Amino acid sequence: MKWNRKQWAGLTASAAVLVTLAGCGSGAGNSDTSNAANSTDNSTSSASSAPVTLNETGSSLLYPLFNSQWIPAYKSVHPNVTINAASTGSGKGISDAVAGNVQIGASDAYMSDALVQQNPSMLNIPLAISAQQIMYNIPGLSADKHLNLSGDVIAKIYMGEIKQWNDPAIAKLNPGVSLPNQPITTIHRSDSSGDTFLFSQYLSDTNSEWNTKYKYNTTISWPSLGNRSIGAKGNDGVVTQLANTKYSIGYVGISWLDKATAQGLGYAALQNKAGKDVLPTKDSIAAAANAMVNQVPDDERISLVYAPGDNSYPIVNFEYAVVNSHQSGDVAQALKDFLQWAIQPNGGNSSQYMDPVHFLPLPSSVEPKSEAQINKIGS
Amino acid sequence: MNQSRRLRRKLGSWIGFGGSWLATALVLFSLVDMVATILWHGVLSFRPAMLWTVTSGNGGGLENAILGTLYLVFLAVVISAPLGILGGIFVSEFAGSRLASVIRFCTEGLSGVPSIVIGYFGYLFMVIRWGWEFSTLAGSLALTVIMVPYILRSTEASLQQVPHALREAAWGLGMTKSQAITRVIWKSGASGIITGVLLAVAIGLGETAPLLYTAGWSMYNPSLALTHHQIGYLTYVVWTYIDMPYNESHALAYSAACVLLVVILFIHLVLRTLVQRRWSRTH
Amino acid sequence: MRAASRASKTADIWFRVVAGLCASTPVLFLVVIGVVVLIDSIPVIRYMGWHFLTGVNWDLGDMYGNMVVRNGVSAPAGATYGALPYIVGTLASSVLAMLIAIPVSVCTAVILAYRVHGPVKSVFSILVELLAGIPSVVFGLWGMVVLGPWIVHDLGPAINRVLGFIPFLRGSAGTGLGLLNSALVLALMVVPILTATTRDLLEQVPVLYREGGIGLGMTDWEVIRRICLPYVKDGLIGAVALGWGRAMGETMAVLMVGGSGMNALPHTIFSPISTMASVIANQLDSALTDATHLAVHALAELALVLMVLTLITNWLARILVQRSSKTLREGVRA
Repeated sequence: MKWNRKQWAGLTASAAVLVTLAGCGSGAGNSDTSNAANSTDNSTSSASSAPVTLNETGSSLLYPLFNSQWIPAYKSVHPNVTINAASTGSGKGISDAVAGNVQIGASDAYMSDALVQQNPSMLNIPLAISAQQIMYNIPGLSADKHLNLSGDVIAKIYMGEIKQWNDPAIAKLNPGVSLPNQPITTIHRSDSSGDTFLFSQYLSDTNSEWNTKYKYNTTISWPSLGNRSIGAKGNDGVVTQLANTKYSIGYVGISWLDKATAQGLGYAALQNKAGKDVLPTKDSIAAAANAMVNQVPDDERISLVYAPGDNSYPIVNFEYAVVNSHQSGDVAQALKDFLQWAIQPNGGNSSQYMDPVHFLPLPSSVEPKSEAQINKIGS
Repeated sequence: MNQSRRLRRKLGSWIGFGGSWLATALVLFSLVDMVATILWHGVLSFRPAMLWTVTSGNGGGLENAILGTLYLVFLAVVISAPLGILGGIFVSEFAGSRLASVIRFCTEGLSGVPSIVIGYFGYLFMVIRWGWEFSTLAGSLALTVIMVPYILRSTEASLQQVPHALREAAWGLGMTKSQAITRVIWKSGASGIITGVLLAVAIGLGETAPLLYTAGWSMYNPSLALTHHQIGYLTYVVWTYIDMPYNESHALAYSAACVLLVVILFIHLVLRTLVQRRWSRTH
Repeated sequence: MRAASRASKTADIWFRVVAGLCASTPVLFLVVIGVVVLIDSIPVIRYMGWHFLTGVNWDLGDMYGNMVVRNGVSAPAGATYGALPYIVGTLASSVLAMLIAIPVSVCTAVILAYRVHGPVKSVFSILVELLAGIPSVVFGLWGMVVLGPWIVHDLGPAINRVLGFIPFLRGSAGTGLGLLNSALVLALMVVPILTATTRDLLEQVPVLYREGGIGLGMTDWEVIRRICLPYVKDGLIGAVALGWGRAMGETMAVLMVGGSGMNALPHTIFSPISTMASVIANQLDSALTDATHLAVHALAELALVLMVLTLITNWLARILVQRSSKTLREGVRA
């Protein structure tokens, strides 16, 4: 009989222990060495400080840089800092960082004024410059031929006013190109996305109807075109959907360019503010960024979309790390160190990491501003 | 005329059963096609090294996800099994009929609540309000909410099948109600209770929606910390990596689906044999 | 025989209390979830009123602009939460799924109950029940890579050819992701529930009744049609309601094969759709970037509507199943 009581007492006690453990909530302090122990052998040459884990969620545009370039590189320099990245879309990056779920929220979009007012301790720190291309799947169009498109025409396509690839409006921009007589399928992001933010900013800047009806945001209330418009999750999802859907059009972050072209997708030369058709190249992205640098405010929340200049590519942006300036001791230092490393021209901003994803390093006049923001991080 | 009516009825019968066979074939074909598709892709893309490497880059391994899934489900079972079993015992043995029906009613209701609602609730409550962040505990508590009703119901059902005479005999020996349960009655109900727990484990292994906003995702092996540390799980890999335009990502997604499918089907087969054995013993 | 000692009596009381506490957890969970979801949706109920249920547009508003105040609730300018497409998407996909699943499962159950015996029967039964255990992401995966292309290349054109005169069934199959794909996947997910229940019910039909039918000169099929199926009707309806509730609440599979349709009611069977459950999963991260939190509250109201719908069907199902099992038992006694 005693045995029975003990047994039940044990069961309930274990449940109670779990509940109390849960109740304490802030059990973060206990050692999480198992986390750092895996995969890479970090036995040698470790620094003296305790192992720290930094979590990142957000932008699928920044993800290839973060996940495939920066994390392995930083791990070799600072083996006791474990960085965990997930490609979730910029909106989730922002909201996770604001909620304190992660230390770094990666985003192609800066936080809105309302959100910043509500969370004054949040910082928007540019880490690099990226761009976005408009991609399409038109079988038969040769790969080295790029369609010319304007924001106005793209907005009309997404609003269903232009339905066919051989529409006069598209043909007018592309004299001599034989356009297929096929209906266009538009692909947009279904998650909350900085790419949607950039794309809709370009459309708002170029088409007044779009600007009044849909504006720009990380989530757009998309015009419905029946099954001629599809949502896809992440840049990865958009590329997959584009590849699977003939005669489709979509917007894709530049870090996915190589993968997307390998799938047979083409990308457009976009009409910029000066009325020129420009392809996303190192030069044209740099031109757009340089046209905007002197306007960058101290909190660095600024759009680089539709920049002036003959050679400026129209959809260019800062890749932000959205970070709370209040962090606990160890984490604050590790976070600062990592972000400082990331923006250094000889660190994360060096061409060996930037080039594979077609990013550009921060302009020299912007870097100090990012550095000043990083220095605000503390405990 | 009689002749033609007979013919018509025969024809109706023939069509009826023909259609039924067709429907059966359709169901079985879909099942076989689904399992075969997943196993085929899964086996082709599976490499044993996936079991001891973690997810990295666009592919890598599944160690973190497998360990994470096991950890989440283990914790959820540790919490939900006592709750469910004791709860089931209470409803079956102690509760008056009105109280029992209220609890039963709510249990049925809870098992009908969509799992995404539970995940949403877990996010608002545990992740945000209680500040646990994405964590193992938030994830396993969300799973607990889903698993408790199953365990409770199957415990109650299997205890109900224990003959009343057995209880009377135990009471007659001077045992209290709880002694009768912990010494005598549970033995007859045990296989039913285990079935319920295993069923709940199988359900927990396959859940995604309640974990999306509670457990987060981690590319590293789970730490023992209950809160503030994200944790990976297999269904996340299936859901996310199939959307990426890389072959190695697809391979990982298929492998994860395959591992899940094999484990869950295995549990169900074990369950079936358990149930069948019990059935053949009692009949 | 010995009397229970004092210690064992205290132990008995303790055991009762602990077990009682454990038994109350489902009640607690359900009530807390219900109350939290209800409280969370109050701001949107005030902001949108009934338009929440009748509106077609789901727009988070201009979050980068100024906030406006309406009915005492502050919101991003232009924010409107019309859940009708998601309610319709939920109902359309689940009803369509049931329309497919009911005949298929009843027929399968007839075969399992009356036509196959011995090992074949148990193998078939095991296979059908295995289907119930497959995780929903695996269903979704299969829907994406197998059903999607099949709908585009074979099923879609076939439906257009044969039934194209009906407007709702006519149109391009698009990417294969949408209402039809969701309905097929959901149907397959509820088939095991329906089949297993119906098979059990059919096996409980008293042999006497069936023999009576045969004695009247009925064919085997007529016995099933006129005697067995009417006999199990109540239980069958209960099982249908149970499956329907499951289909309405399913998240991941629909998220993967539904095509994330927004802001429009489905025009054809191939239209992309979202269900309430898939929208909650899909939109929570967007909603959390809303500084006024109204978008999160809107999702709470969606969860509330979904919860109410599934609870009603679920409880209805239980009542019907219970009633039928009572009549069945009486039938056996008679």
